[in-house]
Amino acid sequence: MKRLFRSIYDWFVSVARVIRRQFHLTFTDLGVMIFFLFLPLVYPLIYSLIYNPEVTRDMPVVVVDDCRTAMSREFVRQCDATEAISIIGYAANMSEARECLNEHRSYAILEIPKDYEQHLGRGEQGVVHFYCDMSLLFRYRTFLMSLTTLQVDECSRLRQIAFNTIGIPDNRAPSSIQPQAFMLGDTQQGFASFIIPGIVVLVLQQAMLLGISMLSGWSNERRRKYGFDPFQIRCSASATVLGKGLAFTVIFFPLAIFTLHFVPEIFHYPHIGDPLQYLALILPMLMATSFLGISIEGIMRERETCFIAIVFTSVIFLFLSGLTWPRYAMNPIFVILGNFIPATWAVEGFVQINSTGAGLNEVSAQYLWLWGLVVFYMLTAVVVTRYRDNRRLVPASV
Amino acid sequence: MLREVIKREFRRYIARPVYLMGLVVIPIALALFFIAILDEGLPLQAPVGIVDLDHTPMSRRLTRNLGASELLQISDKQYNSYNEALDGVKRGEIMGFFVIPEHFERDAEAQTGTNLAFYCNLTYYVPGSLVYKAFKTMAVTSAGEVVTTSLVGKGLSPELSRVALMPLVLDIRPVGNPWISYAYYLGPSFIIGSVGLMALLMSVFVFMSEIKEGTSRSWLDAAGNHIATAIFGKLIPLTLVLTVVAVFVHSLMFHYCGYPMNGNEWNMLLGLLLFIIACESLGVVLASIIPSPRFALSLASLIGILTFSIAAFSFPVEAMYGSIGIFSYILPVRYYFLIYIDQALNGIDLYFSRWWYVGLLCFPIAATLVAPLMRRWSRHPVYVP
Repeated sequence: MKRLFRSIYDWFVSVARVIRRQFHLTFTDLGVMIFFLFLPLVYPLIYSLIYNPEVTRDMPVVVVDDCRTAMSREFVRQCDATEAISIIGYAANMSEARECLNEHRSYAILEIPKDYEQHLGRGEQGVVHFYCDMSLLFRYRTFLMSLTTLQVDECSRLRQIAFNTIGIPDNRAPSSIQPQAFMLGDTQQGFASFIIPGIVVLVLQQAMLLGISMLSGWSNERRRKYGFDPFQIRCSASATVLGKGLAFTVIFFPLAIFTLHFVPEIFHYPHIGDPLQYLALILPMLMATSFLGISIEGIMRERETCFIAIVFTSVIFLFLSGLTWPRYAMNPIFVILGNFIPATWAVEGFVQINSTGAGLNEVSAQYLWLWGLVVFYMLTAVVVTRYRDNRRLVPASV
Repeated sequence: MLREVIKREFRRYIARPVYLMGLVVIPIALALFFIAILDEGLPLQAPVGIVDLDHTPMSRRLTRNLGASELLQISDKQYNSYNEALDGVKRGEIMGFFVIPEHFERDAEAQTGTNLAFYCNLTYYVPGSLVYKAFKTMAVTSAGEVVTTSLVGKGLSPELSRVALMPLVLDIRPVGNPWISYAYYLGPSFIIGSVGLMALLMSVFVFMSEIKEGTSRSWLDAAGNHIATAIFGKLIPLTLVLTVVAVFVHSLMFHYCGYPMNGNEWNMLLGLLLFIIACESLGVVLASIIPSPRFALSLASLIGILTFSIAAFSFPVEAMYGSIGIFSYILPVRYYFLIYIDQALNGIDLYFSRWWYVGLLCFPIAATLVAPLMRRWSRHPVYVP
């Protein structure tokens, strides 16, 4: 009995020693400190500065007005008054307007056909063409939103004119169903408000993976040189893994508070979640990520390998998280792959808490998945560490 | 002498798996990943909820009409109130919901005024926008249907009442991408951008590994102590491998997947080659001025990852702050993206894209100016961990 307690005590002591050693290794390594501090502190700010204007307004549009009547000019003025469009001028014909588009001076052509006013006057449908450059869907979307609103307004105005002429009075004009649109989460429909809450979580994960990989690359270089890593505490694999994982989690927790709490505050992004709830959610993400980082230790042959092996995964994880491309429309293989990435669940959970005001109970699925990943990656990390500890390398040269 | 360095370089490629991974496997894997994930073009069937407080034939017809939209997938779960549906949004079960108020049918037919409210979760931009589009269309057409019925009741002919409903049609034509496919829009920039990212990282890596392994002296010796030969000896194999990979990826996109190629393909291939060279040149610039493997690679990663945001594939440069937007023009992929838009998507004359090619050419020129700095560190390599 006494021996059992003794060994449990020893195990905890070795965990503590691993934590202390890991702190030492981390804080004395400039390269790792750049990953651990610079990335989570500065990247969210850079991303915010890029996307902070949120929307695009007054995009240049050139007009081809073949109608040249008061009505067509009125319509052009209405277009110019919308959020999306700024009329830069009239082109004589379509080929001149095309030229303008090709020279990148405008992003769309508004063409009003010759019979525009004629049609409206006769009580027929007037048609206006809008040719939109498709280089960015964001521009197209902005045009579309503005034009849809414009169309609804213009239609009711024209309808009223028509009704007046046939004698249906104003107040009887039947428009008895009012559509009302409400945007949830990102109420201003801004780009930064949508992408930053997800990006910051991803930045945390990637910074962590990069730093851990750099440390393990360094350790692997020592192992090749001496046959073992002299800085490694000799103890059981489980104590090593737990100690390292806890050390990284402790280092990252304050950074998580900065990126998840202060960044949205500084830039005034949607931020209606309860800090306790999203910090509770991020804890398993940090732990799972540390254990994931320890599990892939073996790949990092040297310090610099992490640049080749980890950096590119950021774009993959961004897509797998469902931030840009929804997960329900993904191939099942990618959904399964995404399930094993801590950031996928953390992005989903954090965005729901932060932007739509969900509580942990509403994101319980994500929360449980994260704890599941903690257990899973802890086991893989222990297996990998044990295997690697048993394999003593032959020193390269003395 | 050049041949010596090239041979030496290929031997290095074979000796370590990192080269095969970084130059071939990762770029192609990334390309396949993006092609596969963007396969559908547009994410259809967004899960949405209907809160039907009316329970009348009219409200059920509305629900059926919404369900017929390819953009929406009505959740099987019954939401009985606004709060329940909002909880569904918070849980992420649905991307939005449509509320049919109480007495909807009665009020609509009596024309005493009613509303159709819809809520879209814009925290997921793409599905949120698509849900908005589908809901809005349905709300407007349902309103129109009631109006038409009542106008016919007032004695207008059905044709005339339809015109009265929508006297003005705004016909929006998405030029070059009428399917509004996300693949055609995001695919090439992300796929070639990833190839460029790896090209940048690997071109820094091939130089920095000489410092790391302390072999830069032997590298210089193989080139007969001539720095230009030494650099070209490294860049030629790199360009060769990367060009083959890039052309393979290009053929995957434009031939296998049928991404739009409305212009001359040679213009695109020229752009691609210049893009690869520009990425390598950027790598040479970093490697020349920062003789520290870790620092140079950190900077390359920083630039490489920010590229995807700052090169404005999704958020337009002209909307960014001027002091930020200007950085997009120091990234090669910005020019490739513009060339793709002009030459492949819009298929306009090469003349209009001339400046983008010039932009790409600036990178090798800049590299030529600073590359001699490599002479200094290659003679006395110092490895800083």
